[in-house]
Amino acid sequence: MAAKRALIMHPYDNVATALEEIRAGEEVAIPVVGTALTVQAAEPIPFGFKIALQEIPKGEIIRKYGETIGRAGTNIAKGALVHIHNLEGTRARGDLERRGEG
Amino acid sequence: MSFLGYVRPDGAVGTRNYVLVIPQGIISKSICDFVAGTKTILTVDHGSGRTANDRETIARILIGLGCNPNVASVIVHAASPGAGYPELYAERLADEIRKSGKHVEVLDPAKDGGTFGAIVKGIQLARQMVYEASTLRREEVGDEHLCLGVKCGYSDTTSGIAGNPAVGYLYDKIVAEGGTAFFGETTEIIGAEQVLAKRAATPQVSQAILNAVLVQESRAKATGLDIRTVNPVPSNIKGGISSLEEKSLGAIHKAGTAPIQGVLRYAERPESSGLYFVDNWMGHLSIFAGYVAAGANIVLFQLGGGGVTGRTLLEGSPSVVAPFLWCTANPKTYAAAKDSIDFYSGTVIEGSETPGEAGERLYRTVVDIASGTLSRSETLNYAEPIDMYLQEPRF
Repeated sequence: MAAKRALIMHPYDNVATALEEIRAGEEVAIPVVGTALTVQAAEPIPFGFKIALQEIPKGEIIRKYGETIGRAGTNIAKGALVHIHNLEGTRARGDLERRGEG
Repeated sequence: MSFLGYVRPDGAVGTRNYVLVIPQGIISKSICDFVAGTKTILTVDHGSGRTANDRETIARILIGLGCNPNVASVIVHAASPGAGYPELYAERLADEIRKSGKHVEVLDPAKDGGTFGAIVKGIQLARQMVYEASTLRREEVGDEHLCLGVKCGYSDTTSGIAGNPAVGYLYDKIVAEGGTAFFGETTEIIGAEQVLAKRAATPQVSQAILNAVLVQESRAKATGLDIRTVNPVPSNIKGGISSLEEKSLGAIHKAGTAPIQGVLRYAERPESSGLYFVDNWMGHLSIFAGYVAAGANIVLFQLGGGGVTGRTLLEGSPSVVAPFLWCTANPKTYAAAKDSIDFYSGTVIEGSETPGEAGERLYRTVVDIASGTLSRSETLNYAEPIDMYLQEPRF
């Protein structure tokens, strides 16, 4: 079975964007210059959603486009879906500011 | 490269050839209902109870729309409730618009036989103006006369990886040819401001970008809210965007890679050509009128759409006198509303085109529409109201 496709925006990124619907257990191929990275999806990754390319411990920076898009709110396993349930945005967070965490 | 446009007395070039009737109200609407080839605006803001800064913003919109090169001539009426403020006197608006060299007429119900008299006189004037405008011919002019404005909306992850990069290619091409291009949406550069600041033409511009973000982020924090309950909006989150930073970093791709020449206020006209960041708000009923008042002669809405379903008709025409293009890179959005969409770049995701090839095709689409081909939304007889970006309290 051909591997499913996902896109990495920058070599520093630790997430990739699914270019098709990916089912749990499927192999995902991510074209990276000079290598062919593959990851097994730990759970379904819908089209346009992000998959973790490596284990991302709680509190670590999540990178896309080579830039910070937030921090891991929980320990994220390799191949897991990365979205609002486990990615914490850090900018313009009035709720964190109010709790003295901003 | 070139397009076919209407050369105006001040040297600016129009992609359309309308007679504009302002401000909003029954006089303008009655004239436009009666006379073909006319445009007016719909808005609830007359200036009443607004601060001097906000009244000046309203004036910038009205004067800017009148000066836009897509307008051949202008009628200004003096019957708006806001006309009591000096900034919004019909004569003042008319004098500012006349600086562009255009024919401008003023209707005053107090002198022209009341509201009904002003409407009758306005219809007679507008018919003559439309007739005179029709005698103008398009001429071949260089792309340096294109002035673009863009917003991305209902963004999903296709926006950042394919849709916005195609617009970015277009922006780089037009700016390289000496044209002008606007991008903005200050909330949606939060998290990407350092990337943009590095692209500023001068240290002052770099600081102005960072300052705009500082002010907007402070406002967001002052609400005490988790910004994700506001922006990214629910359709962004449904489309796979997880944080404001991720949305911002995808959004800035629509601005290409050219140096940023300056930071402009809403509806402010740039002093020169090139790429400008506009300190504005993302709402589509607000942002496009601001770009067009600043001189944009064609505007684009780069649509994600992954988080919305069932939209088989995209209406959109909040740009008054400028052609409005719908673009998307989302295959589902395109499949649902094909006959509303001017440009599709999902080909980049499907692997049948490179971003550069898609960008080149977008460029040709823009040149065609600038030269007179209708944008899909122009085939609808529908205008959305304008929500002017007024930031101060009302009293």
